[in-house]
Amino acid sequence: MSGSSSDRTETERTERGNRDLPPTTPTRAAVRDCLDRVDDPELDRSLVELDYIDRIEIDDGSVEVAFTLPTAWCSPAFAWMMATDARDEIAALPDTESVRIELRDHMHETEITQGVNGGDSFGSVFPDADGDVSEVRATLDDKARFARQYEAIGACLDAGLDPRQIIDLRREELDLTDEDAVIAVGDIHVVVPVEPIVAFLEKARASGHVTDPGDRLFLTPDGEPIPRERFDILRKRMRLASVNMGGQGAVCDALNESRRAKLDRD
Amino acid sequence: MKVISFDCLATTGMYQANGEEIFVIDGHVHFWDASQENIIHEGGEQFIQCFHDYHTGFTPEEHEWTIDEYRNYDADRMVRDLFENGAVDMAIFQPSYLTDFYDEGFNTIDQNAELADAYPERFINNGRFDPRDGEAGLRDLERQKEEYDIEAVKVYTAEWNGESKGWRLDSEESFEFLEKCSELGIDKVHAHKGPTIRPLNRDAFDVADVDDAATSFPEMDFVVEHVGLPRLDDFCWIAAQEPNVYGGLAVAAPMAANRPRKFGEIMGELLYWLGEDRLLFGSDYALWNPDWLVETVMNAELTDEQKDEYGIELSTDVMKKIMGENAAELYDIDIEEKKKQLETDPITDQFGLDDHYAADAAAD
Repeated sequence: MSGSSSDRTETERTERGNRDLPPTTPTRAAVRDCLDRVDDPELDRSLVELDYIDRIEIDDGSVEVAFTLPTAWCSPAFAWMMATDARDEIAALPDTESVRIELRDHMHETEITQGVNGGDSFGSVFPDADGDVSEVRATLDDKARFARQYEAIGACLDAGLDPRQIIDLRREELDLTDEDAVIAVGDIHVVVPVEPIVAFLEKARASGHVTDPGDRLFLTPDGEPIPRERFDILRKRMRLASVNMGGQGAVCDALNESRRAKLDRD
Repeated sequence: MKVISFDCLATTGMYQANGEEIFVIDGHVHFWDASQENIIHEGGEQFIQCFHDYHTGFTPEEHEWTIDEYRNYDADRMVRDLFENGAVDMAIFQPSYLTDFYDEGFNTIDQNAELADAYPERFINNGRFDPRDGEAGLRDLERQKEEYDIEAVKVYTAEWNGESKGWRLDSEESFEFLEKCSELGIDKVHAHKGPTIRPLNRDAFDVADVDDAATSFPEMDFVVEHVGLPRLDDFCWIAAQEPNVYGGLAVAAPMAANRPRKFGEIMGELLYWLGEDRLLFGSDYALWNPDWLVETVMNAELTDEQKDEYGIELSTDVMKKIMGENAAELYDIDIEEKKKQLETDPITDQFGLDDHYAADAAAD
């Protein structure tokens, strides 16, 4: 990643901070954090981690971000989601006055860049698409939820819970601290590593599941409680979903690396 | 034919170290033309650039081609790359027309015929159809059968065709073509399922249409190329339930080179869901060159952790099936007969492969 305005910006912020004045410019670190919260919906990994970001420019309250995907042919729907998510995350920073997101070297770079910055809808920019991107997003969020569930259930199994106990778990029986997830099973408490549980809950929420205290924690791909007799096969399918995302991630990483070298991006 | 190295044998422990021959059928090759003169749409340039990124992304540096080499290679080079070092015994052409992007087509059955006609014992020349071609397309399917006696077609559902940017295998029009195939004795369909851009508003990598087609045409076999990546999960789930659905390893195979752990996981899943009889090796030449890829895949191993998790190994028996026996079964090739035929064919003469096949005969 490159950019020239960051040093000045961070110095300014520090000076203002020292005088106890509220900052008026988003910091480079804050913008990066925003982008780190935006995932490639197909790979379930952040744009920063995937090294898609070409440039971050910050000029007072206006922020510009340019990014490139691993191919010129990456799904425009996915590109649209990433661009709009990045726009919305950065716009929500208290010091942002304006945001501009630029998609580069894509077969629909112009439509997507103009549409996202103009606040248009996907359907109006791509009239031959029959509908909006929300359905695609929901499908991919569900896939990511299901794939993340593999690690989360694995952690529960490792901690000694059996399949019956795992499928019966409710959100309210889970207590999260910084280090641990504590699961109440009857009178006993089982301690599980917190990371896979938190990662799973994040995607469960994004996909509209596990919202009430009484909701089951772990679900089928369709969002239903897991029947005991399907636990084993569903566990294999969770592994498969996770391998798919990781495998495709490896393909995209290699493509991205080749393409960035060719386009002289790094 | 690949003679497994001593090390590999020692690891699998299933055979003596005096050489177990593997008959290799490369199930997915192209003879393409992406020269500047042939490109008539920016999509054509983006396509070949993207292919080249795939190539460099998964090719050891010493085997990389320049973009100019990559655009357009001649028949001699293709023959050398496939057969000179004995990496491949036979190869199957999977044509991709893309005539909206390439004036004369990217690689058509008629272009592939240059090689397939010259070396009929080495190449299988597959046909293609596109249901949007309507009546003319049906007639052309008949022509392909008559002229080349095809027994399989490759279909590319994301191909642009004027206003249309793609089609589905389970559409009414497509079923009409599948019926025609069935009638003509074309009983295998290779469906490209990889990254596509359309339909714009959907998950563009849907493999569900293969499910319906495979159920409706149980007398035919469907090979999903690229094992559905990035929808390996959907593909495996469908294939687990449809016995006439196979996986083509093009694109997954070269991960053995620089992402061996991911390759192991993918193979673990494929073997778990489909078993060892429904997977076909393919280099996707010239995306990747079998002159190094075959050996890399043959020598790939699972980690101990993966062996425990999946309860499998990439044993010699399993690899023999994936590298050739499964394709031979699908295409009715008697490997022993074929070996005798290849012992005296022009390729064997050209590259002095007599020992290669003779040694094999001795080992039998």
